[in-house]
Amino acid sequence: MSGVPLVFYLGVSAAMFLLGLLGVMTRRNPLLLLLAVELMLNGANIALVGFSRHWDTTDGQIFALVVMVVAAAEVVIGLGLVVAVFRQRLQLNVDDLARLRG
Amino acid sequence: MGEQIVFGFAAAGAIGFSALVVALPGPFRATVSLIGALLSVAVIFVLLAAPFVAVIQVIVYAGAIVVLFLFVVAYLGERPLAGVADRLARYQVLAWIVVVVLAVQAVVVLATTRLAIREEPKPVGDIGSPEAIGRSFIDSYIVPFETTSLVLLIAAVGAVLLAKRAVQMERGR
Repeated sequence: MSGVPLVFYLGVSAAMFLLGLLGVMTRRNPLLLLLAVELMLNGANIALVGFSRHWDTTDGQIFALVVMVVAAAEVVIGLGLVVAVFRQRLQLNVDDLARLRG
Repeated sequence: MGEQIVFGFAAAGAIGFSALVVALPGPFRATVSLIGALLSVAVIFVLLAAPFVAVIQVIVYAGAIVVLFLFVVAYLGERPLAGVADRLARYQVLAWIVVVVLAVQAVVVLATTRLAIREEPKPVGDIGSPEAIGRSFIDSYIVPFETTSLVLLIAAVGAVLLAKRAVQMERGR
């Protein structure tokens, strides 16, 4: 017994994803919300890379790299929105942002 | 044996720091906890025979993205934002129910699946080196690769437009 079975990695992946989900649903501060989204993406990445090792192929790692690119783009736009909103009004709360609708 | 010890620390770090990210009140502390979680995930990637992805994780995530977060947190001056409401959100009970249901589902699936995920992992070939990744990108995933460059370009243009419009509206006031 030298290696760690894949199921443990998947467990960590699920735990990170669920913590991120909890953060997304309970936090009202857009900055912390984006942090929680990062956690969810990382949890998914662990599963992708884990299955990549399981099937002895590179594909899962490619997907993980693409996810990182999407995460970078998402953070840039998200933080841009946060800063833009912050300059307009001084309170940051995603529930108040419903007024931006339409 | 060594691998199991390293995995234990990395898994505990990943879950512990993730919990801190969700639980800590201020954005600055949560962001610093996120660094810990991302580095733990990088260690997990190394254990999964993916050294290149681990390096990218450290450079792009723990480096660039977290620095961007810290920069915005410093710019906004840790001004807290939606103070009280942050903690007692209306949907908190619903959120916990969803998370618990999904956790139960994950445990059931992992415990009953017929995939060979509970066995000793088989040795793998060269799947994580920069060469293998590059070959895979060029051979089979050339279109997604080019699409990512387009996505990054659009994101950069979008960020510039957002900033510009914000400055214009501020001047107009």
